Amino acid sequence: MRFLGATIFFLLTWLPFGPPAPAAAEDYSSFTIPLLRYPGGNFNPRPEALRSLLAQVAARTSIEVNREPVVLEATDARLYCYPFLYMGGNEGFRPFSAEALAALRNYLSFGGFLFIDDNSGKAGSAFDTSVRKLIADLFPKNPLQKIPRDHSIYRSFYLINQPAGRVRVNAYLEGLSIKGRTVIVYSANDQGGAWSRDKLGNWNHGIIAGGYQVRQHSIRLGVNIVMYALTLDYKKDMVHLPIILERLRRYHSQ
Amino acid sequence: MNILIKWLGLNPDEYNQWEIRWAAAGPGLEAAVLVLLVPLALWFFWTSLARIRSPWRKVFLLLLRVLAFSALLLVLFRPELELRKGHYLKNSIAVLLDNSKSLSIKTFPDEQPRASLVRQAMEKNQPYFERLAKTFNVDFYFVSDRPVQVSSGEIATHYQPREPFTDFGRVFADLRKKYEDQSLKGVMLFSDGADLNQAPDEISEELRRAVASIDSPIHAFQTGSNDLFKDLAIEAVDAPDFGFVQQPVNLSVTVNASSIGNKNVSLVLKEGDNVLISKMIEIREGTARYPVDLQFTPRALGKRVYSLSLPLFAGESIASNNRREFQVKVIPDRIRVLHLNGRPSWDSRFLREVLVNNPKVDLLSFFILRTLGDDVAAPTTELSLIPFPSNLLFTDYLNSFDLVIFQNFKYSPFIEKKHLENVKAFVENGGAFLMIGGNLSFQGGEYERTAIEDLLPVSLLREKQAWRKDEIASRPVKGFLNHPILRLEKDDAANEKIWRSLPPLSTLNTGLRPETGAQVLVEDGKGGPVLAVAKKGRGRAALIASDSSWNWNFRRVGEGGSGRYYQRFWNNMVAWLSGDPATQVLQLETDREQYHEGDEVLIKGRVLKEDYQPAAGEAVTLTLRSPAGGVDTHALKAGPLGEVAFAFTPEEEGFYHARAEVKRGKETLSAEAGFGVFGDTAEFQKPLVNPALLEKIAAISGGTASVLSAQTDLSGIHFENPEVLVKTRSKAFSLWDNWAAYGLIAGLLFLEWWLRRKSGLS
Repeated sequence: MRFLGATIFFLLTWLPFGPPAPAAAEDYSSFTIPLLRYPGGNFNPRPEALRSLLAQVAARTSIEVNREPVVLEATDARLYCYPFLYMGGNEGFRPFSAEALAALRNYLSFGGFLFIDDNSGKAGSAFDTSVRKLIADLFPKNPLQKIPRDHSIYRSFYLINQPAGRVRVNAYLEGLSIKGRTVIVYSANDQGGAWSRDKLGNWNHGIIAGGYQVRQHSIRLGVNIVMYALTLDYKKDMVHLPIILERLRRYHSQ
Repeated sequence: MNILIKWLGLNPDEYNQWEIRWAAAGPGLEAAVLVLLVPLALWFFWTSLARIRSPWRKVFLLLLRVLAFSALLLVLFRPELELRKGHYLKNSIAVLLDNSKSLSIKTFPDEQPRASLVRQAMEKNQPYFERLAKTFNVDFYFVSDRPVQVSSGEIATHYQPREPFTDFGRVFADLRKKYEDQSLKGVMLFSDGADLNQAPDEISEELRRAVASIDSPIHAFQTGSNDLFKDLAIEAVDAPDFGFVQQPVNLSVTVNASSIGNKNVSLVLKEGDNVLISKMIEIREGTARYPVDLQFTPRALGKRVYSLSLPLFAGESIASNNRREFQVKVIPDRIRVLHLNGRPSWDSRFLREVLVNNPKVDLLSFFILRTLGDDVAAPTTELSLIPFPSNLLFTDYLNSFDLVIFQNFKYSPFIEKKHLENVKAFVENGGAFLMIGGNLSFQGGEYERTAIEDLLPVSLLREKQAWRKDEIASRPVKGFLNHPILRLEKDDAANEKIWRSLPPLSTLNTGLRPETGAQVLVEDGKGGPVLAVAKKGRGRAALIASDSSWNWNFRRVGEGGSGRYYQRFWNNMVAWLSGDPATQVLQLETDREQYHEGDEVLIKGRVLKEDYQPAAGEAVTLTLRSPAGGVDTHALKAGPLGEVAFAFTPEEEGFYHARAEVKRGKETLSAEAGFGVFGDTAEFQKPLVNPALLEKIAAISGGTASVLSAQTDLSGIHFENPEVLVKTRSKAFSLWDNWAAYGLIAGLLFLEWWLRRKSGLS
């Protein structure tokens, strides 16, 4: 009886833990959005934004996502495991070191993608000034430009007329391309604020001058940006063009 | 004159002429001012002499002043005395005798070669040339594609129509250079005008310029005629140097008929003994040229030799121009790739970039962007998604692709299971298939016991967890580093080093057991296949059991490397799967594509084992097929590097076909190469006399054109013979820039002043 009791005790105590599991490998194949940590300022004013966006990407598309938060600095050795980076902020920040600039330049030039989101909700914010200086330091001969309306970002999944956001600072996105691939997309409209919801599903921030529809458009833009990073100009392949152009015609005429 | 020359300190024997020269630019404004002022000054001078009573003295003083002014004007015109030695040049006449092969063609009704007319004309008119030589330098040339000077005595013995090409443009350009420092006053051209560089009834701009540059009349004598000339010829074939396999190739052929009568003839295009196409041509009297357009479709790769032929009629002047061969290098069209992605991922993003940037690839991609379970929260009209055209792709259009890629793609519910059978048939008939890993591939895609499993180089085992995320080594299997897919560097050691330096993979599809005959090129650290290939029927199949090969690109960049080996790996993969000739284990080529008669031909080959290691010592049978159909077989043995070589000198002109064969068990490997041996018979492709060209040459140069016959008398041809003086020595002396000229002016003015003083004037 004592033996039986000992056996039951052993099973109860050992089985739930099981044999020692191998250390879990990091999930690089699933789509992950690391947050870029930078010197000074506030690099994470919308802590729920990325998890919320990835949940929407998972729910709406076939993309397999990894919602575990990952925070990286530009000089982090793991940077090249994640070809997509998110950089948010609502304050000015210190200039990147030469080493960080070189690392980020290399990352973007050879396959990486950076989405920059001004969460301040103000035109000409300190964050905006810092971002423009950062980009000028990264690519002095290749300035930010307005992303044209026929760019794949506006049709990579949803057909989008105008970029929305928590606020409407700019009616356009800005971007920077290298050899035909857009490697930086910059929104001044606080996309992270529009995406962000708590664990109970409540939206963390209200939409300025808009409601449900504007928030949906912001989420659609987030999905499209992710889809563009993963498929680039796939939607400009000839096989898609006739259908997309017809739908755009109808969409614009609405 | 001699006194003057001696006075100047020169030898009178060295100079026989003299001349006063004036400044070329003239004295200019100062002289004009002087010419206007001098009369005025003389008038004032004359009035100032009023107090002198003696009119003679007045006139003398005026004369002195006039002489002083004249001397001053002369100085302004800067006169020079030129002493020189010169002689008169004898003008030249060039006599050009066309000695190209077309002059050997018989002319009718006498049935004597055109060249005989030239010989007869030269003999008959020998006195004329002798007379001409008394007043001119008469230079004789044999001309074809360049002028070769001969003496008059050599014409009878050396004139033979043997040269392979006629090029009047070059002949006249060379002639102009020869007479650059001489006085050429006329040209006599004896030719049939059959210049292959000139289009019918036209003269090229180059020839027009060359004729005009001669700057003297060219008298053309048409040698031979087209009367009663009977011939049917393939005059020109305009074929592309290369074409794409299975794609139509267009040919433009020009047939020329002379005195054939009204007949319907058949133009036949063959490859070897196979008739590809034939076209009926209605030959009618009065029409010489017949443009014919043909189209055919090459079915096999490599250098293919095609022949065009026309029937040969009795009495034709030339038989060889009824047949013409040409070669087209048939290359693969762009490799059409159908790329299906189960979901957007970094693996698919980086691979798609490589495929899009590969100029040899024509890519059609499809991404499954949403599944049935996804809620897009928008109406279809606000989505850019298009329906997946499964039926079209896997029934109607499947055979138009060369390679089908399933990348992390689960076929259900997008493709019906029965359509997977079509993919299998597609590969067995020569297509290619590649499966790239991920959790929707292999067992994850439910491919067990489907036609796709039959295609794969592995069988799919039942495993609970057939998809693993972990750090996976990718180790090339020893002996396969020479495989074209794994060739990232040419050098063996460098190649091995590169493979060792690639970052590890981060995912692996497991439960894959290699099939018999499959080759596992890369293993994980535990012997599981990471990259495996196999031949399936006439096609090829491959798999990569991971969706993280992009690590070899982006992560390698992060480690300080570059993505170039990733790109090379995938380009190698596409090349091997599409059966690129460079990936064949038996290869055959020649050192040149075309040879002249008498050249040695070198046929080279390479034999490799199935693992792409050299098949040293392997027996190779080389079969050579000559243009006449003769077949020679040679037994060769591969060298230490798998190389074979065979050299020979072809005896016939035309296109040869070489085929190498290696027997391996029941299978016979083969490779083919073709090459052409050309004789110099181009002149017979356009054998007709071209009177229009001769007339144009004569007209441009200001000469005459006439038909040459045995009775032609050239004595009516005259040339200008002006005196042309040529300086051989000269020396110039200034008549103004010296003490004597200025002393003369000063002396005249002094004498005048002295007389004025004597006459009581100031």
